[in-house]
Amino acid sequence: MTDRLIAQIASERRARVESLDLFDANLWLGEPDYFPLAEPIAANGLREAMGEYAIRGGLVSHWDGIRLSPQDGNQALRDVDGAFPPDVWTVWVGLPLAPGEQGPLPATGAAHPRMRGVRLFPRIHHFQLSPWVVGSLCEWCVSRRLPVFLWHTEIDWEGLHGLAAAFPELTIVLDTQWQKILYHNRDLFSLLDACGNVLVESSNLLGQDFVAWVVRHWGARRILFGSFLPAADPYSAIGMILDADISAEEKALIAGGNARAIVRQVRP
Amino acid sequence: MSLVSEPFIVDAHVHTGYLNLFFSPEVDAKSLLARMDALSIQYAVNLGSSRNLLVSSAAEMEKAEAEFRESGKRLFYCGFFDPRRATEDLTTLDRAARGSGFKGIKIHPSFCGVAGDDPRYEPVWQFAAERALPIVSHTWSVSSYNPAQALSTPERFERFASRFQSVRFILGHAGGRGEGRLQAIRMAQEHANVFMDISGDVMDRHFLERMAGEKVEQKVLFGSDYPWLDQRAHLCGVFLAGISLSAKGMILRENARRVFDLP
Repeated sequence: MTDRLIAQIASERRARVESLDLFDANLWLGEPDYFPLAEPIAANGLREAMGEYAIRGGLVSHWDGIRLSPQDGNQALRDVDGAFPPDVWTVWVGLPLAPGEQGPLPATGAAHPRMRGVRLFPRIHHFQLSPWVVGSLCEWCVSRRLPVFLWHTEIDWEGLHGLAAAFPELTIVLDTQWQKILYHNRDLFSLLDACGNVLVESSNLLGQDFVAWVVRHWGARRILFGSFLPAADPYSAIGMILDADISAEEKALIAGGNARAIVRQVRP
Repeated sequence: MSLVSEPFIVDAHVHTGYLNLFFSPEVDAKSLLARMDALSIQYAVNLGSSRNLLVSSAAEMEKAEAEFRESGKRLFYCGFFDPRRATEDLTTLDRAARGSGFKGIKIHPSFCGVAGDDPRYEPVWQFAAERALPIVSHTWSVSSYNPAQALSTPERFERFASRFQSVRFILGHAGGRGEGRLQAIRMAQEHANVFMDISGDVMDRHFLERMAGEKVEQKVLFGSDYPWLDQRAHLCGVFLAGISLSAKGMILRENARRVFDLP
């Protein structure tokens, strides 16, 4: 009897996952650090990996941008540009515009036509997340309507609050990886309250009722579905949306509507 | 929020009570039961309140027994052992073991600051062996940002798990992230009495498929870590994993029933 019940639930859930029309704000190519069980995905394997979870589009970053250098990661994305499935866009790793460094970086030379976001790693790449260091890059992002993505492990909360307040037109997406966001949720929720231009990515937003909590207090437009594929199982983040106590319209925004709107408004 | 029909799932890793480390919108047994009803979860095993993990007491055990009764015998519970107060805690556990909802013992080397392989844990393994009780431990990987996790890496428990083969031993959080998870898988493969629960925030892609492929699906228990984490987070992944229906049934229900001796 249990087998029949599980089969019925699985079938019903798969249909509901398909109907979410997922757009993933947190896809990764290359070899992940910190996750030895992860199976790296190549650009030509992205379509199949996304299809396994009914993910129809997304924003893809490259681990080489962390493990090697921002330029290596950006070049790796550029090298496989022809292999991306439709509706997959890239997120380049950025550095402060001064002193001005060589190689493919956001805001140096022509913007790559597939770029739809900029990632910053202030701790790994050794710079302050302060307007006097990244202000000119933030101004460039605002002018192109490019969102800035940050892992929560790469920020201090005071600094992020200062940046969000200094650039209210900059869309800042706080990623919930690669460690638990849970331990920082008192700061996270205060930041969402204080800064309307900060959004939260959902791959590790797995705390008790967190999706509904954010929606109830700050609206469904503040969450972007992200899987952190291939390091994490996308079904964790999907399950949190699928079963959240929110409306179908709110689920649709989180699952993909919000991220697609951000991608559409970018002026490359 | 809804799943379906009659409850049949067992959540092998929950807590109740106030939290000191972070915010959770709900923390009590009544809220937990409402969640369980909505998600077709029949039973849960309460591994203790934060308070009990920090200052285990007879009063906390009485509270857990009361929650068990008030839940219609659905919220089973474990007692806690801190090797720094072994005599006191064994007395509390001995009394608690007479409660009808008592199902095992939780240890947490990282909280207690005493490594899992420290000889001071021997009395609790002996206690569990004599009473045919399982032991659940918090387990994790060595962590650059949380040094206490090094006290709870899976291999630290290997000596006791080998010596006390009658004690069913559950690696909570399946060793956590990275190397700890690889060690947890190895131990579950090598020791008949070692199990893993999938509670926590780390769910590797294809983890369950890998467990089934390596024939250890009978060693994996569904767990959530409520109210730290949401029961919904990993349920979806179990239902939709590329494993057999019987393996899903084992992970969602049968393995926990066997390990904790549940109805």
